[in-house]
Amino acid sequence: MTDLRVIAPELVLSVVAMGLVVVARHIRRARAAASCVVIAGACAAVSAVWLESSSSGFGGTVANDSAARYFHVLFATTLALTALLSVRHLDAERIPPGEFCALLLLATTGMMLAGSAAELLVLYLGLELMTLCSYVLVGVARDRPTSNEAAIKYFLLGSFASALLLYGIGLTYGMTGATEFTAIASAVSSRNLGQEPLLLVGVALVAAGLAFKIAAVPFHAWAPDAYQGASAPVAAFLSAGSKATGLAALIRVGLVAFAPEQRIWSALLLGLAVLSMIIGTLIAVSQTNLKRLLAYSSVAHAGYALLGLIPGTPDGASATMTYAFVYAFMTLGAFGVVTGLGQRGEELAGYHGLAAVAPVRAALMLLFLLSLTGIPPTAGFMAKFAVILSAVEAGYIAVAVLAVLCTAVSAFFYLRVAVLMYMTESQGLAPARFPAGVSAALAVAASVIILGGLFPDSFRAWTVPP
Amino acid sequence: MSEYLGIALFFVVAGAIVATFVALASVLGPKKPSPPKLEPFECGKLPFALPAGRLSVKFYLTAILFILFDVELVFLYPWAVVYRRLGALGLVEMVIFLGVLMVGFYYAWDNGALDWQ
Repeated sequence: MTDLRVIAPELVLSVVAMGLVVVARHIRRARAAASCVVIAGACAAVSAVWLESSSSGFGGTVANDSAARYFHVLFATTLALTALLSVRHLDAERIPPGEFCALLLLATTGMMLAGSAAELLVLYLGLELMTLCSYVLVGVARDRPTSNEAAIKYFLLGSFASALLLYGIGLTYGMTGATEFTAIASAVSSRNLGQEPLLLVGVALVAAGLAFKIAAVPFHAWAPDAYQGASAPVAAFLSAGSKATGLAALIRVGLVAFAPEQRIWSALLLGLAVLSMIIGTLIAVSQTNLKRLLAYSSVAHAGYALLGLIPGTPDGASATMTYAFVYAFMTLGAFGVVTGLGQRGEELAGYHGLAAVAPVRAALMLLFLLSLTGIPPTAGFMAKFAVILSAVEAGYIAVAVLAVLCTAVSAFFYLRVAVLMYMTESQGLAPARFPAGVSAALAVAASVIILGGLFPDSFRAWTVPP
Repeated sequence: MSEYLGIALFFVVAGAIVATFVALASVLGPKKPSPPKLEPFECGKLPFALPAGRLSVKFYLTAILFILFDVELVFLYPWAVVYRRLGALGLVEMVIFLGVLMVGFYYAWDNGALDWQ
């Protein structure tokens, strides 16, 4: 029973998901299904934080340390906000709400499992549960050809990345004879396997498989198409949840399993981070579709988040954990505004003169964009400052300068949206009122971003790396 | 490695023989192409369907349901072998596992996957 307590949040979510599957055909209203999800997410978060249990379970394969709890809360919040965002959307696109919410719940279960995995196969299981549900979620709007296309592309690239990860796990197991993170590290250092070429290949393949989940260059090709084809709440869920899952896995694998391989691991992450920041930023400049713009921005943010993991120190990992949390709320907020505006929100042209007809919504969008850029009073600044600081402290001055330069370039395309909203003539009528769910989600995201910016140290007590 | 040498030689010789025959046929053989010769089947009848034929999409659901029970069996066999040693807890765990699978089966049934129409 102590083992079951360790995975209590996952159990809550999967039981609710199965209940939804059983009654799926009889759920007609999206509001009922979505409120189930929100309640389940809240219960999962509460059980993750307050349920007393041992520090690991299932023979040490599932960790229950503070990092695992932190990511459980992050995933539960992402789930609840996504459910709130998608209520009106499900009705508009005639998506069956029961199935959609069950898939959301199961994907979050996978994220939580991956976030607390202390063993490579449990990690793989969690990641697969997440991605298999994500493929379906991306293609769930069956009437739209773009949605189907996005799902197929995501599926093909995703299964390729899963295979890479599995090869990496296989090679690591072959060289060390272990799949538990601590056992891998002790096998590498005690048997002096640090320079074995096969193990290095295994490390690189694991890094590649996880880089796919956070959409880091050169494993980013799925993100723009998947985000554009998916409905906006699903894109928000992917960019917030999938990235946080990948980062959680990278933190745990890098700090525990491949700690003796720190040099090669740092070099790999450094390459991924530099490429992601440069390419994500440069391609985002030329986008005219807001979902694609946010997709390339998420590629660039994957690069910034990796900065904290390059030194391989607990402080750096803690900065990355903060970044994952703050980024989740920024991107949920930005995609939330896109969701609320409906068809108009998809293209940049839809934001012409938005401030004149909908001042509060324009102000919210401005807040999220400022936070994504990293302008001081927001949490985005605090998070970006922390990861760049950790790179500087570890002596990676050139990368830190590059990150600041990329931020400066990124201000161009984020603030271009703000310029369109505030400094151009309005076209057409005011958009329809936001649904209540979307407003609630935006309020939560905005308050986290403002409070996180005002009290930058409030995350420190929570972000304790494994 | 030496025990694989025979297999490697086998592949090399087999590949060489096939390549020789194909090369000889294309070099020595007379070439008088005509439209009937270029058809997929040189039997004088025009092919009117794709070689693989078309499959009803209904079989896709059948295949999915097959996987459901396939997975169930994969886990039931080893469980049955060690059943006595697992005791009551093993039975409970397997019932829970089957229950989860049956949720999926019920969903398919509820949505009419078993109606052939």
